[in-house]
Amino acid sequence: MQIVLKDFTKSFDGLTVIDKLNLTINDGEMLALLGPSGCGKSTTLLAISGILRVNGGQILFGDKDVSNLPSQKRNVGVVFQNYALYPHMTAFENIAFPLQVRKTGAAEIEERVREMARLTHIEPYLDRRPGQLSGGQQQRVALARALVRRPDVLLLDEPLANLDAKLRLEMRSEIRRIQLETGITAILVTHDQVEAMSMADRIAIMDHGRIQQIAAPEDMYHRPSNTFVAGFLGNPPIVFLEGKAIGNGAFESASGMRMPLPERLTGLAADQPIVMGVRPEHFGVKGRHTVRGTVSFIEPQGRETHFDLTVAEGEVLRSIQAARTDISLGSEVEWPLDVDKALVFDSEGNRL
Amino acid sequence: MTDTASSSGGIRPDALVRPADPASDLEKAALKGRPKVSLLGLGMLSPAAVLLLVFFFAPVVLTTIFSFTNMTSATGISGGAYVLSPNLLRELERSGVDSDTLAALGTESVVVDQESIAAARAAGVEEDFLEEIEDDLLGVDFDSKQDFERALKDLPSHLRRTRDLKLAADHFLVSALNTRFATRAEASDAISALAPDIAPGTRDRILDASYTGWVWTTENFRRLATQPETLRLVLNTFFYVAVTLAFNVLVGLFLAITVFYLPKGTGMVFSVLWLLPRITPVVLYAIMWKWFTWDGGFVASFADLVGLPSFNYMKGSVPTAWTIVILVNGCIGASFGMILFSGALRSIPMQQLWASEVDGASRWQQVRYIILPQMRWPILFVTCYQSMSLLSSYEQIWLTTNGGPGNTTMVWALESFRTALSNYTGNLQYGQGAAMALVLVIVGLVLSIIFLRMFRFGELVEKPKIEF
Ligand SMILES: Nc1ncnc2c1ncn2[C@@H]1O[C@H](COP(=O)(O)OP(=O)(O)OP(=O)(O)O)[C@@H](O)[C@H]1O
Ligand SMILES: [Mg+2]
Repeated sequence: MQIVLKDFTKSFDGLTVIDKLNLTINDGEMLALLGPSGCGKSTTLLAISGILRVNGGQILFGDKDVSNLPSQKRNVGVVFQNYALYPHMTAFENIAFPLQVRKTGAAEIEERVREMARLTHIEPYLDRRPGQLSGGQQQRVALARALVRRPDVLLLDEPLANLDAKLRLEMRSEIRRIQLETGITAILVTHDQVEAMSMADRIAIMDHGRIQQIAAPEDMYHRPSNTFVAGFLGNPPIVFLEGKAIGNGAFESASGMRMPLPERLTGLAADQPIVMGVRPEHFGVKGRHTVRGTVSFIEPQGRETHFDLTVAEGEVLRSIQAARTDISLGSEVEWPLDVDKALVFDSEGNRL
Repeated sequence: MTDTASSSGGIRPDALVRPADPASDLEKAALKGRPKVSLLGLGMLSPAAVLLLVFFFAPVVLTTIFSFTNMTSATGISGGAYVLSPNLLRELERSGVDSDTLAALGTESVVVDQESIAAARAAGVEEDFLEEIEDDLLGVDFDSKQDFERALKDLPSHLRRTRDLKLAADHFLVSALNTRFATRAEASDAISALAPDIAPGTRDRILDASYTGWVWTTENFRRLATQPETLRLVLNTFFYVAVTLAFNVLVGLFLAITVFYLPKGTGMVFSVLWLLPRITPVVLYAIMWKWFTWDGGFVASFADLVGLPSFNYMKGSVPTAWTIVILVNGCIGASFGMILFSGALRSIPMQQLWASEVDGASRWQQVRYIILPQMRWPILFVTCYQSMSLLSSYEQIWLTTNGGPGNTTMVWALESFRTALSNYTGNLQYGQGAAMALVLVIVGLVLSIIFLRMFRFGELVEKPKIEF
């Protein structure tokens, strides 16, 4: 089912948190709502689920305006950040609850709960209470509970935030598998870019209650629409160098370091203030320009090594390279920079 | 963003193995070498121990001691004397003591000596007359009062009026009756003197009965176990505790849930209103109810208005008296329950309630399936706590119906208070009252052991989260 937010506005006690947000989630798609803490992701999700009422605008499920429908009547499944399982019920009873309150027959409840348990791989734990389940198992129970009555929409609010790194990886693919198998329209709220990139069909990046960009993960990584998006995606993050174009397809940073502009932007007018964004994987491997500097930080990561290279007072470039031990802290090096892959933004932060 | 796994670099998070946290080793070491009980610790505990001793054990011990005595305000709490009163003789006769012996104890003899003459002089008998008595009759024995009076009439300056003469004669009469003997030996001697042939058993029995101080006895408990009044009290108390408790829990729950769902401001006003009975001084609160239910009060007037019988609802009939008693106590307990339940409600994570709404549960289903099951422990707690305090509380009943009409709303605690401390008509029966109080203490202890067991049982069902 397609979901459309039209000029969605939400305020708490007169303070507007989200102002006229527009967003369309396609039928059967998994959309990640990504953004820093407090940007309004949960608020948006809760408004879609009907727990919070909108202060303005509309929420459409298909063609139907559900803005004023209580959550009981919206047919959405929600997995909350802390799972919100009912502690006094067994896993089975938790999953059965949405059916039970609809007075579904016992035989059908049994059948559908088992079906969900199979889908989420929790059949052995159905008799346990949430307190006796691991985080990952609880998460699956919550997922099964959200899906058991075949909702039109599945809403996931940071479903993996409480899991350890390994389980998080596992559950990422698990949730994606279940979403694809059921073909349900899903919204995944997260502040973890890796989660968003690996699970979603499209990502909507939010900041201060505004959607900054909506795009497929790869697209967004390579063609961020502004510095916020560019800075939010990628770990270790992109490095920004402020400066200006100086004509002849060259750039001069604030400290006076010069480098060529990417091929496509050689026509920039001289003296236009711009920001160069260099991702660490585009520095230190190959490229047509070389940069000299002092190694000021080394972080071995096993397969790779991260370096910080101080190129001038207050200007540091970051590099990620296949593991190497031949460089020591403080050594002077000269590394290639792939300037054509560099991102360039205008003074407002929009990509050129 | 703190996740060090990088999508572009493909670093698996497992590569990040953190060194063991050194703090946890330290903690383990600290746990192993836990210090032994120190003197300092005991020293710190001692004020609490003293308070416990003074304010808890001492009253219980004293109650226990009193309950095995027949102390009343007549016996006093220190020792007494031995007195043969006419009443006592009558009672002894009724309980089968030989009447000749009793008659002997009751006899009066006439003694004319310096002492009795002095007593008569002090009472204002004429000096001439006394001098003649002293001269003629000193040391003379008389068989009876009549003989003595005849002898007095023979004296030259005897009193003209017979009544005056009899009054004067009274000063020379000596009797064991109504004399306070300080020790048992003195009393025993007096009895032996009056009735030389008395059997030692009978004498002891008379001595025991004549003692005005308190003695050790189990009579209090025997009386409690046999008097028909006890059953009525037990039933009343049970009814009172059960119904008030139900009111406390149900109304408390209802209020807590209502306030929980009301908008904040309204809920606040509402809960403060319900807190009033709890924070009003109990005497004021009781008086308020009295005014409320007075013959011409609000309830009576209102009843009149809607065509119901109009009378003093607090004292006019048994059902209304019970209703008022239960309401008076119920409102206090309900506000206590409300506070407790409200706290428990607030500790249910909001997201659980959201989840249940999304799952399609109506308000009622939310209350029934999500909230109430999680209120089990608070409900059990309020039940335990309130049943104990209701069992031992009497002040509200005392201040309102005072057990009336008749004794229909009398409960155990109030009866024991009345018996021991607030009896207008007869003596205050400390011993009997203490015995009743002791029964309450024992019932309370047994109940608390049962309740504690129930709480433990809860712990057993859910395995401890922390293992040692
Ligand atoms: N009930 C509320 N009353 C007042 N302000 C609220 C309320 N709920 C959220 N807010 C505010 O709205 C903003 C958005 O909150 P929201 O919970 O949607 O953030 P989020 O993006 O989910 O953040 P996080 O990643 O930390 O969960 C925040 O500034 C928050 O302080
Ligand atoms: Mg949130």
